[in-house]
Amino acid sequence: MIESNYFYLVLGLMILGTLAIRGSFIFFSNRISIPTSVRELFSYIPAAVFPALIAPAAFFHSGKVSWLYEKERFVVLLLAGVVCYYVRNTFLVISFGLGLLFILHVL
Amino acid sequence: MSQFKKGFRAVFPIVSGIVPFGLVAGSVFYEAQLSFTQSLAMNLAVYAGAAQMAAVNLMKSHSAVLVVVLTGLIINMRFLLYSLVMSTHLKGSHPFIKFICAFTLTDQSYATMANHQNTLKTDQDAVQFYLGTAACMMFFWQLSFIAGFAFGNFAPEALSLDFAVPLSFVALLIPAIKSKSYVFIAILSASLSVLLHDMPFRSGLITSACLAIGAAWFIIKRSRA
Repeated sequence: MIESNYFYLVLGLMILGTLAIRGSFIFFSNRISIPTSVRELFSYIPAAVFPALIAPAAFFHSGKVSWLYEKERFVVLLLAGVVCYYVRNTFLVISFGLGLLFILHVL
Repeated sequence: MSQFKKGFRAVFPIVSGIVPFGLVAGSVFYEAQLSFTQSLAMNLAVYAGAAQMAAVNLMKSHSAVLVVVLTGLIINMRFLLYSLVMSTHLKGSHPFIKFICAFTLTDQSYATMANHQNTLKTDQDAVQFYLGTAACMMFFWQLSFIAGFAFGNFAPEALSLDFAVPLSFVALLIPAIKSKSYVFIAILSASLSVLLHDMPFRSGLITSACLAIGAAWFIIKRSRA
């Protein structure tokens, strides 16, 4: 059981902290000027952030498929990346990934 | 069609990855015996699924307030990068618009806008498009969270619907890969995040992302030299 005062203290601090992070540059956008080279760096942000979000969750997940060393989620993610490169359709990529994982588990 | 509608429609396919995540998050809050008011308050006001789930798990084990808050905020640190990018479109915007854009900043909204950058001719177009993505995300996230809280994670386990979340991130990542150097950065980031997985407070995520951005900076500088 999470005590009420404890929860609301955490909640208050998380609201303030998260808004401060999200608003950091936005709130002061009139005063900030960003060089061209930094703008070019922006295009690398998805490539730098998303793999760090998904790789550990897939890699350290203990799966069920022994011939893939129980790393079937990691393998399916890599294959989904290849499919996405060719089809560029989010719904198809998600369906492919979920379908392949289901088939691997059933086999 | 207005840019707002275009944004709403562009992020819509990603919703199929958000709904399972919302269901799981809602059920985690219910299982932690938080009230509906408490759960909704956090989901509306913090509006950051991964950080919320980490915070609730730590609160269940009665971790110190500072540990819970810091863990949540470190997970959210990536929003600093998105805020920096969004700020370039919001110069001179009304403070209320800035507040809404900051408050609704998510991985999905940011990445969808970034992937459509070439079609958005003015900053106003970009902001309208972004607000469309944010409205769609907010609506479906809250709805799926409430459904998860009320009915539990009712999706059959055999379908592994929680896996739709990383798959939706793959769908956001691939369009942003424009050349071999982007592939290198993505592989570097993934490898570092696995190696740094055991860092305290789940700080491996932001550390890996920052190191990968440092490497990208080096690539840009070298290509210009």
